[in-house]
Amino acid sequence: MISDETRSRIDAEIGRYPTPRGALLPALHWVQEEHGHVSRESAAELAEIFGLRAAEIMEVVSFYNMFFDEPQPRHHVYVCTNLPCSLRGARTLLRQLEAHLGVHVGEATPDGRLALGHEECLGACAYAPMMRVDHRYHEDLDFEKAKRILDELD
Amino acid sequence: MPRITVDGRIIEVPEGRTILQALDDVGLLMNGVDVPHYCWHPKLSIDGSCRLCQVEVEGMPKLQIACNTPVQDGMAVRTDTERVRKAREGVMELLLVNHPLDCPICDQAGECKLQDYAFEYGVLESRTREPRRALKKNVDLGPTIVFDQERCILCRRCVRFCDEVPRTGELRVFGRGDRSVIDVDPDRPLANDYSMNVADICPVGALTTKDFRFKIRVWFLRDVPGVCTGCAKGCNVYVGVANNKAYRYVPRRNDEVNATWLCDGGRLSYRRIGAERLREPLVRVDGGAAQPTPYAEALEAAAGRLRQLVDAGAGERLVVLASPHATNEDLLALRRFCDALGVTSAGAAVVRGESDDLLIQAEKAPNAEGARLLGFGEPGPVLERIRAGQAAGALILGHDVLHDSRLGGPEALASLDAVVVLDSHQSALQRVAHVTIPVRHAAEKQGTFTNHARRVQRVLPAVEPAWEAWSDGEVLAQLGAALGLAGFDASWDVVAASKALEQVQPAFSGVHLQSVGDEGLALDAEAIRGAAS
Amino acid sequence: MLTVPYITNYLTEHFADDAFGTIEGYERYGGYAGYRQALDTPAEDLIELVKASGLQGRGGAGFSTGMKWSFMPRETDQPKFLVCNADESEPGSFKDRILMERGPHQVIEGILIAALATGSDKTFLYVRGEYAHPADRMEQAVREARERGYLGPNALGKRRSHEIVVTRGAGAYICGEETGLLESLEGKKGQPRKKPPFPAQYGAFGMPTTVNNVETFSHVPHILKHGAEWFRGFGTEKSPGTTIFGVSGQVRRPGLYELPLGTRLDEIVFEHAGGPAEGRKVKGVIPGGMSMPVLPASLLDVPMANEFLRERKTMLGTGGIMVMDDTTCMVRASCVISYFFRDESCGQCTQCREGTGWMHKILERIERGAGEREDLDVLLDVAAKMEGQTICAFADAAAWPIQGMLRHFREEFEEHVRQQKCPFPASFEL
Repeated sequence: MISDETRSRIDAEIGRYPTPRGALLPALHWVQEEHGHVSRESAAELAEIFGLRAAEIMEVVSFYNMFFDEPQPRHHVYVCTNLPCSLRGARTLLRQLEAHLGVHVGEATPDGRLALGHEECLGACAYAPMMRVDHRYHEDLDFEKAKRILDELD
Repeated sequence: MPRITVDGRIIEVPEGRTILQALDDVGLLMNGVDVPHYCWHPKLSIDGSCRLCQVEVEGMPKLQIACNTPVQDGMAVRTDTERVRKAREGVMELLLVNHPLDCPICDQAGECKLQDYAFEYGVLESRTREPRRALKKNVDLGPTIVFDQERCILCRRCVRFCDEVPRTGELRVFGRGDRSVIDVDPDRPLANDYSMNVADICPVGALTTKDFRFKIRVWFLRDVPGVCTGCAKGCNVYVGVANNKAYRYVPRRNDEVNATWLCDGGRLSYRRIGAERLREPLVRVDGGAAQPTPYAEALEAAAGRLRQLVDAGAGERLVVLASPHATNEDLLALRRFCDALGVTSAGAAVVRGESDDLLIQAEKAPNAEGARLLGFGEPGPVLERIRAGQAAGALILGHDVLHDSRLGGPEALASLDAVVVLDSHQSALQRVAHVTIPVRHAAEKQGTFTNHARRVQRVLPAVEPAWEAWSDGEVLAQLGAALGLAGFDASWDVVAASKALEQVQPAFSGVHLQSVGDEGLALDAEAIRGAAS
Repeated sequence: MLTVPYITNYLTEHFADDAFGTIEGYERYGGYAGYRQALDTPAEDLIELVKASGLQGRGGAGFSTGMKWSFMPRETDQPKFLVCNADESEPGSFKDRILMERGPHQVIEGILIAALATGSDKTFLYVRGEYAHPADRMEQAVREARERGYLGPNALGKRRSHEIVVTRGAGAYICGEETGLLESLEGKKGQPRKKPPFPAQYGAFGMPTTVNNVETFSHVPHILKHGAEWFRGFGTEKSPGTTIFGVSGQVRRPGLYELPLGTRLDEIVFEHAGGPAEGRKVKGVIPGGMSMPVLPASLLDVPMANEFLRERKTMLGTGGIMVMDDTTCMVRASCVISYFFRDESCGQCTQCREGTGWMHKILERIERGAGEREDLDVLLDVAAKMEGQTICAFADAAAWPIQGMLRHFREEFEEHVRQQKCPFPASFEL
């Protein structure tokens, strides 16, 4: 169920675009903030709000890296592994974090705390290696610094 | 009209079109000018993603996709240069990198545009050593279609079709890049009245119909041009025939009737050709059960019943119900029969059902309009007479009348002295008819139909029944001769009959079996005289 | 938070002062003066001024900004839109990020001037989804500008209203392509559109639209304040102005450097960014973001401007300079590059969808030690079949880097094949 608060945010957002669908990406972000992912139920509700079909909503969800169609752990940790970061040891850092957390890239910790992944260039190339934890960037990392940040996540 | 040059040849094309549209408009596309393509379709929106239709346009440094390049007067297009050849090779090779080598088990083989174009425009050897993308095969997309995701070349014709024609939008493309896959919402399978068209427009064997799956190789099929008889639209079809059996209908393009489409119900109506057929004449003696009877005897029995009626002075109490499934030529014979006998009470019962704003018509027979134009209209008065006990005999073609509640069931005919039925398929009428004579289906004879928009289209014999069957016109010719009616000599010339239509209905002037061709001809509404309503 | 550029110029000279990011600070530094001037200038003259300045788009394509503005229809009763492309996702680029975080009002002022020049009613400022902080900064600055009256019903003086709507992407590089962005803005998958029609005729929500990059907008207020002649005083004749180069990779001082176009690449890499680490040598440098072909150490004496870079078969792109030293295996680097393009292809065009996948698989196989002689020619052939034949330039961007690698480092690929393993054990881990 999409909360009333999110529904009002969506309604207000719709007014800012010439067609309602312009507010779909913002709406998907908010639905995800609320539930962690975009479920079939949410897709059906959004379909009604936007005058679309649920499949069209899920089609959009499937195209973008930041949208999920399945339940997610509490935190997402993405180490950038693009070229500038790799040149400065990003993938080595990733391996070390895998070992520390006991998961492989793409997996979540069994307690549902976080998922470890890799991402393409996040625009922090001079401060490599770096990672994105949910909405925050952590730059100029080494293993100790990264470890500390992750261990502090609830 | 803009004039362009294509491979050195000057062509005049319609205004406001793209190169591919223009070539299609003038009938040259893949028929004099080769521009192979996948994602473009004459009846769908322009996509521009397959990249196969690239051509050289003088003055433009890069190759242009013919499907999205507007034609301009003086444009010079080349489809036969080295650059174009290499571009086509590139697209073909890249499509084959992941495409599974399923040809031996794929229904599309023999009518597959990937096979055709790979052979014609591609490279003969594959250079890939990489494992191919592994996806879902044999996906049940819905009641009519099987989907193989690995074979899909992502031309998106099927997605655009569902969005734009039935506007049901079941198919969507999920994911991104080389992980893109077409699929449906599990709660909304592919289930619309036109779903099977996606198998036609799919250039490869990704979308195939469950009906045709694994039945026969297409190169064994002979395609006979015909017309669907499911409703008054008269969508143009090809009847796919092998071993004297109809294996399928596929739509035949006619921009005046059905474009390139066919509804699922009509497409599957080919099954009627071989199902529930009347295979031998039936005669009921002394109120007993109907007995199979040799044709000549049955004809004599029918003539006998009708003769009794005429001799007893009850000729005007003979009523006639025409079949909207009979051809114009058959109905001309019936018209002559009625006139010779002085029948005043005649009509045509037509089964009606759902219609839509695409192809599907409410009248579920191919020739209801033809029947009306030849004087067989609203059957209410005829059915009244039967119910009121005022009919002594009935000559009934087809059995649509059983669906008309005003008849009140076949028992209403039980009290008549002479019930003669001519029909192609089994029905409850056989129980009450004194004589039932089997006749041919539209796919088994020559003739014309008049569709809802008064377009006259022809059918040609595609299969031959395995039992003795004549067209309605032939039976009536023989019946008329047996009754000694003027103008009937037992012979039947369908071409002559077709040319004689105009004698009964002036609007048919110049429109007959030999003039309508494969595309049909529209009648002049102004010329219509004396049609029934 | 980003540190400020090591070398600044007119775009970033005040970035060290946090106040510059607030409206009060910005105005104190002379901000919005260019905009006030533009209010008194006819739209056609604004376009001529920007044309005369020679400003080229800083988003990677380098198209003349003034000319792009002139494509917008003059007379129309349709609403007209601007789009600020803040989707910065080109690997090696992180300049738009700092322009938004530390100079948000400079961006807004540029947008307002463009709005006057093109007669636009609204701007959609599309920020990549991962840039949460820069998006927040822009939203904050838009609020401040609205309070001040620079946005809203009478924003553009007597002429018309203007609004800026900040909206966020959701993680897809292809949304940085103009028409991919427009599709995403409309709430769809970010799949680029076929052209024609072009955005100036059919853009955002079907209306006439001009799309410009964050940095492009940022230059505009300075052109208004100081004039076209002044702007041409920086850079080269064909490529005037400054740009913010982002230096990254195996170099001592990775960071941002605002320098005139035409500054030599070796000067940037060795002098400004300090060159490679102790005991190492530079092997190759990608000059303009990962889509641009690499240059070997011997070809770094090139002015950073398109007219010179093109002669060396590469381009300025987004000025993202990535330095690779002699420990780096170029095949390994190619694997990283090709993985990116495979992942980010939108999937529409045959050659791009299948070609990016195929190239990546081949390169991984070569790096794994299972490469064959013919693979290199297949790679070049596939790249050639991808170039210039697709709906958008993504396929070109995917093909060029591999062409560049094979052009200058073919022997490394051949060694992998000959030895059936990677001969660079000290290279960065893959």
